[in-house]
Amino acid sequence: MPTPKSSLPPRCELHSDVVLELKGLGKAFYLHEQSKSVPSASDVSLEVAAGTLVALVGLSGAGKSSLLKSVYRTYLPTHGRILYTRTDGQTLDLATAPENEIIALREREIGFVTQFLHCLPRQSTLDVVARPLLRLGVPLGDARERARTLLNRLGVLERLHDIGPATFSGGERQRVNIARGLIVRRRLLLLDEPTASLDAATRDKVIELVREEKAAGVAILAVFHDTAVVAALADQRREIALPTAAALASEVA
Amino acid sequence: MRPILEVSGLSRIYGPGCPRCIEATGPDAERNVCPHCGSIVAVHDVGLRLMPGEILGIMGESGSGKSTVVKLLNFDETPTTGRAAFFDGERTWDLFGLNAAEKRWLRDNRMGTVYQNPHLGLNLDISAGGNIAERLLMSDVLSYGEIRERARDLLARTQVPAIRMDEHPRRFSGGMQQRVQIARALVTNPPLLLLDEVTTGLDLSVQARILDLILDLQERLGIAMIAVTHDLGVIRLLATRTVVMRYGRIVEGGLTDQILEDPQHAYTQELVAAAL
Repeated sequence: MPTPKSSLPPRCELHSDVVLELKGLGKAFYLHEQSKSVPSASDVSLEVAAGTLVALVGLSGAGKSSLLKSVYRTYLPTHGRILYTRTDGQTLDLATAPENEIIALREREIGFVTQFLHCLPRQSTLDVVARPLLRLGVPLGDARERARTLLNRLGVLERLHDIGPATFSGGERQRVNIARGLIVRRRLLLLDEPTASLDAATRDKVIELVREEKAAGVAILAVFHDTAVVAALADQRREIALPTAAALASEVA
Repeated sequence: MRPILEVSGLSRIYGPGCPRCIEATGPDAERNVCPHCGSIVAVHDVGLRLMPGEILGIMGESGSGKSTVVKLLNFDETPTTGRAAFFDGERTWDLFGLNAAEKRWLRDNRMGTVYQNPHLGLNLDISAGGNIAERLLMSDVLSYGEIRERARDLLARTQVPAIRMDEHPRRFSGGMQQRVQIARALVTNPPLLLLDEVTTGLDLSVQARILDLILDLQERLGIAMIAVTHDLGVIRLLATRTVVMRYGRIVEGGLTDQILEDPQHAYTQELVAAAL
């Protein structure tokens, strides 16, 4: 007898699902000019389930950001697999998936918020934030309205909405970046120190927004320099060790 | 999803060619002139897939063969070997298997090219409006009124002041000539646009306006484009995916952020390091 779909609350079903699984993931950079390999993260395995946040912790240089960038395909991992489970239950390896699949996933399912705002120049802040929605075909008016709401929640003053972020302070730019990163609800969110230059009040607002994402079933893999943020948001902490002497030796050889 | 353009094994050799041309040229040999027979291997074994609405960057320095790729695709040059399929709605065009009339029709109706040098893409001695009308006359014809209306609309879209529509582009600034060229290329609503170093040699502020215009057109009209450039900034701004060419070959390809942040090939690493 097939079970009727309605018998399971969808939220619970989502929460039990692993969205991302890293298996033996490693990254090293080969520098041709110096003929040497620089190891970053090595042999990392972990799972991120829907509605949970896994925080990567460890010393600077351990390769936490490299792991996030590998998941997003900004870096090509050297070893291991990055298994991502799509909405339809199919699993694909983000390390080897075709580029067009990655592009489609970036537009709809996988978001990445870094410390730095990279955006098209000469656009208003409102349009920078609304852009991911526009790419999905949301009408301009609606997209701008949602952008305005998010910017307001993050305390970006209304008078700044219509000018470009080029002249903004570090903290303002970071808030714009977070708003843009959260405007489309993703299935998997990668956060790389999104609160690095924010004041305590804004940081609390970001914590609140990230909690909302978790509550909506988003799987999150994050790096926070601030232990208080980790404590407030993480369901699991994963220590990333510095590349070992052995890894260094094997890469050089 | 089906690509709009699929190119494989594309090669162009200038000269007689010899059995050793291929192994004696390319990025490893660091030359594109065959030392045995003197032939120039401008492009060898290039493969590309362009998706609808996507901007694909081709990055390389002069002599890399990137502009030759554009010239082969828009029939300015004939390939030595290779295949290219243009999937245009219901129709599939085998680009290198067409007769002259078919090529002309495709070029006039379904593809646009914007060249670095406006002289190549424009007739500087007829009015800006006339340049656009000329292309419409070559396409499946419309009425005079429609042609003028369409010319006016496109020049407005590409920010050429309407009052200058009847002036000769010879008198225009470089940036405005380039915008007229883009308007001319777009006049038949082509789903495919080839851009060959379109901002090279322009002032920075003018470059910015041209790049904004290209992005705006891509976003609103969903035109697929191949953008050839030596400029990493242009690649970063325009292209979702990028291939890097050197001495006629593709040395690597990938998502643009990956190519710029984690380049794999020695040559790309050198290019990216030089730009920072």
